[in-house]
Amino acid sequence: MALCSIQVNVNGTNYQSVVEPRLSLADFLRHELGLTGTHVGCEHGVCGICNVLVDGRSVRACLLLAVQVDGQSVETVEGLAEGEKLHPIQQAFMDEQGLQCGFCTPGFIMSLKELLDCNPSPSEDEIKDVLGGSICRCTGYAGILRAVQSAVAKMGGGQPSSAD
Amino acid sequence: MKPAPFEYAAPPTLDEALAILSENDPDEVKILAGGQSLMPLLNMRLARPELLLDLTRIDELGGVRALDSAVSIGALATKRDVEDSSLVRDRNPLFMESTVMIGHPQIRNRGTVGGSMVQADPAAEYPAVAVALGAELVARGPGGERVIEADDFFITYLTTSLEPGEILTEVRVPDLPAGTGWSIQEVARRHGDFAIVGAVAMLRLESGVCVDPRIVIFGASDRARRHPEAEALLAGERPSAALFESAGQAVAQSLEDPTDDVHASADYRRDLARVLCARTLSEAMERAEGSGA
Amino acid sequence: MAVDIPKSFEALPTSSPRHIGRGRRRVEDPALLTGRTQFVDDVELPRMLHCAILRSPFAHAKITEVDTREAESLPGVVAIVTGDDALRWSHPAQSSPEGWGTHCLATDAVRYVGEPVAAVAAVNRYVAEDAIELITVEYDPLDAVTDPVAAMAPDSTLVHAGQGTNVMMDRVFTWGEVDQAFEAADHVVSEKFRWNRMGANPTETFGCICEWDPLDLSLTIRGSIQSPSMFGLGRAATFALPSNKVNIISQPHGGSFGGKGGTRGTDVTCLLSRKADGRPVKWIEDRIEYLTAGGSQAWDRHYQASISVRQDGTVTGLRVGLIDDLGATGEAYGAICAAKPLAAFTGPYTIPVAEYDLKLVATNKVPSGPYRGMGPPPHFFVLEQLMDLAARRLGMDPAEFRRKNFIPNEAFPYTIPSGNEYDSGNYEEVLNQALALADYPALRSAQAEARQEGRLVGIGVASAIEPGVFDWNAYAIVGMPGTGVPEGATVSIDIMGFITVRVGFSLEGQGQYTLISQLVSDYFGTDPEMVRVVYLDTQSAPPSFGPGGSRLGVAITGAVLGACDRIRTKACRVVAALMQTEPENIVLHDGLFGIPGVPEAQMSVSDVAGTMLARSDLLPPDVDPRPEATHVWTAPGRTPADEEGRAKSYLTAAQAVHVVQVEIDRETGFVEIQRYCLADDCGTRLNPATVEGQTDGSVAQGIGAALLEEYSFDEDGQPQTTTFMDYLMPTVYEIPKVEKVAVVTPSPFTPLGAKGCGEGAIHTTPAAVLCAINDALAPIGQMAREVPAAPKRLWELIRAAGDTPEDGLI
Ligand SMILES: Cc1cc2nc3c(=O)[nH]c(=O)nc-3n(C[C@H](O)[C@H](O)[C@H](O)COP(=O)(O)OP(=O)(O)OC[C@H]3O[C@@H](n4cnc5c(N)ncnc54)[C@H](O)[C@@H]3O)c2cc1C
Ligand code: FES
Ligand code: FES
Repeated sequence: MALCSIQVNVNGTNYQSVVEPRLSLADFLRHELGLTGTHVGCEHGVCGICNVLVDGRSVRACLLLAVQVDGQSVETVEGLAEGEKLHPIQQAFMDEQGLQCGFCTPGFIMSLKELLDCNPSPSEDEIKDVLGGSICRCTGYAGILRAVQSAVAKMGGGQPSSAD
Repeated sequence: MKPAPFEYAAPPTLDEALAILSENDPDEVKILAGGQSLMPLLNMRLARPELLLDLTRIDELGGVRALDSAVSIGALATKRDVEDSSLVRDRNPLFMESTVMIGHPQIRNRGTVGGSMVQADPAAEYPAVAVALGAELVARGPGGERVIEADDFFITYLTTSLEPGEILTEVRVPDLPAGTGWSIQEVARRHGDFAIVGAVAMLRLESGVCVDPRIVIFGASDRARRHPEAEALLAGERPSAALFESAGQAVAQSLEDPTDDVHASADYRRDLARVLCARTLSEAMERAEGSGA
Repeated sequence: MAVDIPKSFEALPTSSPRHIGRGRRRVEDPALLTGRTQFVDDVELPRMLHCAILRSPFAHAKITEVDTREAESLPGVVAIVTGDDALRWSHPAQSSPEGWGTHCLATDAVRYVGEPVAAVAAVNRYVAEDAIELITVEYDPLDAVTDPVAAMAPDSTLVHAGQGTNVMMDRVFTWGEVDQAFEAADHVVSEKFRWNRMGANPTETFGCICEWDPLDLSLTIRGSIQSPSMFGLGRAATFALPSNKVNIISQPHGGSFGGKGGTRGTDVTCLLSRKADGRPVKWIEDRIEYLTAGGSQAWDRHYQASISVRQDGTVTGLRVGLIDDLGATGEAYGAICAAKPLAAFTGPYTIPVAEYDLKLVATNKVPSGPYRGMGPPPHFFVLEQLMDLAARRLGMDPAEFRRKNFIPNEAFPYTIPSGNEYDSGNYEEVLNQALALADYPALRSAQAEARQEGRLVGIGVASAIEPGVFDWNAYAIVGMPGTGVPEGATVSIDIMGFITVRVGFSLEGQGQYTLISQLVSDYFGTDPEMVRVVYLDTQSAPPSFGPGGSRLGVAITGAVLGACDRIRTKACRVVAALMQTEPENIVLHDGLFGIPGVPEAQMSVSDVAGTMLARSDLLPPDVDPRPEATHVWTAPGRTPADEEGRAKSYLTAAQAVHVVQVEIDRETGFVEIQRYCLADDCGTRLNPATVEGQTDGSVAQGIGAALLEEYSFDEDGQPQTTTFMDYLMPTVYEIPKVEKVAVVTPSPFTPLGAKGCGEGAIHTTPAAVLCAINDALAPIGQMAREVPAAPKRLWELIRAAGDTPEDGLI
């Protein structure tokens, strides 16, 4: 099968790569670029553990092909912290025990980043809508919900609004 | 869970895409839109095309446009595009509501309107709303353009009347007629899951009686369908809980071959269709009353 | 040398602990949050190959031919193994009960859908999956048996023809005069219950990288391995290797909950590495493999149980009959889940006599394995439904009925009929706190109003025991040998006063590395930032079992404090020599060694360590000059099991009361959890934030078990729930806010008085949710006997009751 040449910007760095068309974006990030912070939990779109941002929108990296992001920009969990300084969402997860094993965490964080980038003071419904797209088996979501509240407060969104 | 090998093409125009389709054996080509249904099948090797034809680079298939009394939604418009469209919000709150019931934001960011129509999942919201509203689906193929009524488009489980070699280009969603009360409700095991059973109801009230009532049940059988017997019971009658309950019973009776699977038996689905029919009708009535018509 | 392990915070060598007993940010988190933690699939090794496994599409069939020729010629394929290789190079898996294991690749027949038949190692996973499609297998399908009751019939199809039966074990354990108790009772309440298969489903599936060294004849295995030392012993047995030739490197893992599984896949991958001349081979189980044939299927149970009760509400006896469907083999140790209820058979109650009629049965399903709680959660679901039935029969409030039967405070330590000893407790206080938190009277009056309106609102009050700190003797009845489970730690202080702790278990999510840094920093009066915890593989680590059986928090606390104490003793001798006094005069306090009350006779921990490391010439001649010590902790006083399985097994008994309010939609059968309150007592809380996190997660898994999660099979043994679209784990929408209150009754037997609490709420949650559902159904005369209480099942019950609201009991 014909290989495809692609150019992708990941976390601000341009990569040029030659890939099989069937290579998933998740496998491309993890095994071609070595960006193993994006995890894979089901490879059929349900668990949300592989969420990354493509052109600012959170999507399932297991349901996209690497060839499809040719010319686009991808953000992964590795791109969030500035040096030693955690991104406010990461810091909030740390402060509020929003993680246990941490396997699901990058997927949650990336989707929340999209939400808070677009909408600094989301309603509780909007927060749940986003969290509802991912599964965490360890925390029962309590710590994650606290972390979101804390991140919203930290990022200047103030109190979560009641409705939109 | 890795796909079998395939060739890949992502043409920038519809004409090129149609040309690629006509040059290849249509059975060996699979069209890729948002991939939210197709990619899992590829990963599981349940779909194994020779060629994957990716439509997502075709700008002309995107976007939401106003027509006289309808909204035209490009087949490749994502659910997120619909959510962000004030046009849809204003003209068709039912279509908007059905959009946010689909999956999760991460799925809606990528999944397309056309993809949901062509996938024709019996439990999907869009086909049900398309049938209720009498949407038109526009396809282009070797023989040119074809406009298909929603009710003729959906055949059965995962099957539409689209011909091999055709591409769905546009969905025309009629505006919700003034004064129409509507409702869409479903039961799913978890929030965001495909519905076990869902219902869409629409009606207007004129001089205190129901006018143009429409009931669509989805998830309960092979495809979303209207239920003319139940609609006939309602037309010209004063709305009441008892009336809605009998409409529900009519729906349950006329439901053919309900689906039986691990989540719900056929009998259970039949009963849920009754319940949801009555519930959506009463919500639709409240909205119709609220609209002041 | 006697080792003194503090039994309370006050006994630590510090004026007031600054770190232990508080919620702290976890040392594990920065790496996890930035995507730097190396999970097994993140590891790349030179010349590594990738494995894909060809699995049986039949639940039961003879294999007549396996043809790999076409696959071998596919470019990128390096090695292929089949049952022939397994026969040549490995033994059947060890199992419980013994003798029910098979080879890791089917040799003659397949016995469940998903059983490995052949496997390929190729340059990447994509090519490996291409290759397994080119392998042709000829099957001769046989009848499958999927119902354990049918499987017990003498004429049943046999899962293993050579065994002559499908019954792996059939024994009745009687503890006391049970017949008498039932004969003398005023009431006997009996019911049948069904708990369907469900399980762990950690977000990370199992994965491993196996390297067979063809010269040294040794194995190195990296993986998401929960109990590395046990895992290593298992592989040594399978491959007939000396145990010192198997090295296990446990990577951090994305949850486990007992259900990581992976032994079979690892053995297959080892065979591939051997065939590929020792190249490392990676196998990452995908989710469909996990759901079809992975390690998480647990607790496939049919119960018939009864209690005997006196008119005054005293429960006098308990009988539990269990038919446990273990699936096709005993390799996954599901049997120990049937044995573990012995550790808490009668729950928090003073029930004096009990009987366990236990049948373990083989069927053509995936071998069943452990899951968080390891077996008591279904047992308590059964016991608590019986308690409610009895309370209803007697017209007693369920909370008061439980209060009446609770083990009273003064009775501890308390020995239950099945032999285990509970360490301590304050059950009434826990009940009082839970009822107060929920405002129980207000809940009941709101319920009465709702019932007037014909709504199905129910309140569940349930209590259960979480046995903590397991011992093998608890599973003696299913053939697990021995007593004693070690956990070791090596603590070393360097010349700058920084401290390294070396342990034999990897990160799994419970924050134990943070706990270790809290303990050590309080012990030596340093900052937690000065403490580093390092993981060692099985060939270097001190004796270790790792997490499991709600033990690690307690055990590692014992190991670390023991090692600290050994260093203290050594250092005291050094300081005494330097200060020309006797070691008894030297005391460690707040980070200083010295003579109490003499400010000039004090040395900091780092000064002592520096002197020991640099100036061995100044030390007493018989003092080991390293400021380092290893301590291995095991639960004290464990006894071998007697003929009836009775032993002092689990060291601690935590207890909880959950109060849950639900409403069932009369028309759809859907359950809404409207209120969730709990009180629990797991002794001293070493890190309260961690305990809370464990509780939250465990409640969520319990709700999944009660309402959503189920592995289904059709009559031919085909699994029906092989994707996350069908195996339903709770999302944020399905989990209510959980209100919690803590009661602290320290354990008299453990380091710092902590009790095992890692498995936690799942012991109580399914019982409590079902109690609430059955309370809601009581007015229409119905009862949910099957878990999960899926809407389809509740709808059937409501329909069977007819549509008239006020026709039932109460
Ligand atoms: C976790 C999860 C939850 C979901 N929940 C829901 C839900 O609740 N409700 C719901 O309705 N859906 C749900 N979906 C499915 C989702 O809405 C899909 O997006 C949708 O079914 C298909 O749209 P797509 O653009 O992704 O199409 P694709 O997956 O790309 O394609 C689907 C099919 O349509 C064909 N096709 C697509 N576009 C065209 C075209 N223009 N012309 C001709 N053929 C075309 C493809 O060949 C393919 O056969 C869910 C999906 C996931 C992963
Ligand atoms: S791995 Fe992509 S959604 Fe589960
Ligand atoms: S923290 Fe383990 S799955 Fe979420």
